[in-house]
Amino acid sequence: MQREVASLALAPTVKAKLIGAGFLRVGDLHEVSATELRIETGISLQESTEVLQTVFPRSHEKGSEMRWMKATEILEQEKSCRSISTFCAALDAVLGGGIMTGKMIEICGTPGVGKTQLCIQLAVNTQIPESFGGVEGHSVYIDTEGSFLVDRVVDVAEAALQHCKQQHGRTGQLGALENFTLETILSNIFFFRCHDYVELLAQVHLLPDFLFKHPKVRFLVVDSIAYPFRHEFEDLSARTRLLHGLAQKLLQLASQHNIAVVLTNHMTIRMEQNNSTLVPALGESWGHASPQRLILYWQGKQRFASLTKSSRQKEQMVPFQITSHGFHDVQLFQSQVTASISSTSNTTVNARKRCRVEDDDDDDEHENCL
Amino acid sequence: MDWDNLELKPSVLLAVKKAKIQSSKEILSLSGLELQTLLKLSQADVLHLQKIVAASIRKTPAITALQLLRGECPSFDQTTKLSLGCPILDKFLRGGLPLVGITELAGESSAGKTQICMQLCLSVQYPQKYGGLGAGAVYICTEDAFPAKRLQQLISLQHRLRPEVPVEVMRSIAFGNNIYIEHAGDLESLNMCVSKRIPILMSRGLVRLVVLDSVAALFRCEFEAKDAIVKAKHLKTLGAMLHNLSSSFKTPIVCVNQVTDAVDESRLMEGNFGILEKKVLPALGLTWSSQVLIRLMVSRTHLSVQDRFPQLTNHLWHLGNILRTMEVIFAPHIAQSFCFYTIGMDGVRGIQANNAEQASTQNI
Repeated sequence: MQREVASLALAPTVKAKLIGAGFLRVGDLHEVSATELRIETGISLQESTEVLQTVFPRSHEKGSEMRWMKATEILEQEKSCRSISTFCAALDAVLGGGIMTGKMIEICGTPGVGKTQLCIQLAVNTQIPESFGGVEGHSVYIDTEGSFLVDRVVDVAEAALQHCKQQHGRTGQLGALENFTLETILSNIFFFRCHDYVELLAQVHLLPDFLFKHPKVRFLVVDSIAYPFRHEFEDLSARTRLLHGLAQKLLQLASQHNIAVVLTNHMTIRMEQNNSTLVPALGESWGHASPQRLILYWQGKQRFASLTKSSRQKEQMVPFQITSHGFHDVQLFQSQVTASISSTSNTTVNARKRCRVEDDDDDDEHENCL
Repeated sequence: MDWDNLELKPSVLLAVKKAKIQSSKEILSLSGLELQTLLKLSQADVLHLQKIVAASIRKTPAITALQLLRGECPSFDQTTKLSLGCPILDKFLRGGLPLVGITELAGESSAGKTQICMQLCLSVQYPQKYGGLGAGAVYICTEDAFPAKRLQQLISLQHRLRPEVPVEVMRSIAFGNNIYIEHAGDLESLNMCVSKRIPILMSRGLVRLVVLDSVAALFRCEFEAKDAIVKAKHLKTLGAMLHNLSSSFKTPIVCVNQVTDAVDESRLMEGNFGILEKKVLPALGLTWSSQVLIRLMVSRTHLSVQDRFPQLTNHLWHLGNILRTMEVIFAPHIAQSFCFYTIGMDGVRGIQANNAEQASTQNI
């Protein structure tokens, strides 16, 4: 049922003239310009502009037309969404290819489980050339905890380069690697350090302009969104409001600029009657802020990743490990395990990941430095 | 907040002053709609206001990781590290302690935590060329008295521990005078120290290292189990204060932590046990762990240096007897690994083991 013109908040004479000219319902005023309305009804141009603004409040702002999208169009858009690999094939599979551009995901975990490591891996992997299946984009890293250490970024970048070079050996795409060097990788990661929540809020206000100036950005991470909000707030509802506001802005940026947005969160212990459970921090209502949630956790000495909230994938847990080369799958080939264990066991307890890198020799050298 | 210095339209400026808004925090904490109602301005004006205020807070432009690596930004120095005073331990930690962030040193009593801290207090005083930061240290004691005699002994033997430093450089440093010792028996005095007294010393360039020995002591006795929430709040506040200090003055903070038995269910959930077999975990729980950048665990083994490294004791007579391990439990830039060390008369020294030796002693 459409609204009748007679019920609108307009001057009675104007309404009478509109109805007299045949505009009985709001729907009749669709696609009518102010000039046309003036001609048809005999009211002044100013009055007709006012009428249209009352009926369609937004349609006169530049570039904010409400356009209906068909579900099939949205489906096509989603299919063309690119994903950024985590370099852990099992996790990529669970995520539907990797971290999706245009979407937001929250990564939770206890200290030391690997949230920052995964974020750094993604910041590097965003830049993988398209001919290698990457999105060839730039990255923005917003650090609130001070855990972005460039030494580590160099390790991960060098390993990613190695990985791609080995792939090049098979597919022969030398040219694509010309622009994928250590220097370019590092120069395409934009770093912001925010020391408290006000700085973070300010930075997010400035992001839209930054993203217009850097249209190649395809990845943005806030590591972590929890830290600045976990102290200083007596009024938890104020905190929730701010957090949701931030999440909304970041979601908007994600879809407007086709960027994959990652937020990292801490874990906290929730005390119930007799037992305590490990849950994501920032409260219950924060759980609704992000459409997807990945939890990283330990089971004994093995790390696992579990996608606990997603509208598209079901809950699954996959093992992963972190080496000097970055974020990886857990090695499954026993023979390679026994060969390398005597020389490299001081770095990880678990079997080492070697499924992409064929020869161990160079890597062993690297490991021994630690 | 000086609104006049921002590039605002006169109407906007007037609205802000009329609404008696004091700080940028208020402008940024309110949503666009709330500000529109409060200031009676249009959406466009409010957006512009928020952008201008945000820009006044974030004056420094984005820097790239490449600039960080090359040390091109004076406000972010990730290439300088604080040496531990031993080349083997420095290599293990990829140069030493980073300038910004809290490094935790956890371990049982007599594992060597205080010894390592004292060595850091001396090593920070050397010029940057020798791995120091050219300034003194603040040592906050919360439990035992500061071992002053041992410090004197370490100072007198610095020439043995650090043979690479020229004699005249060493003689020119009055080691004892540059270590400021504070006693904090309770949380209140600790907060006072951290928020008021230390910043004064730092702003005068007198100290570039803060050691808190130990964090656990204050929190374990003052709070009972039921006060978990209050305890967590105080831990977060302390963590935030220390972080502020660290970032503002580019100063490493070392916090000593005690350990608890690893039997509690809720502790086991946190995971991250490291690679050596252990029966103990760092105290203070998850809240504190989230504040820490690097977690190191030190412990005594039941072996002696001669047993495990017979070839070494022939040349290096100043090694201590007991073999100890320093393990990286987590660090953003170091894999989980461990290193052997001993404590001799002249201080803490790492032991370079080749990998076969290291692997075979993994389960000590």
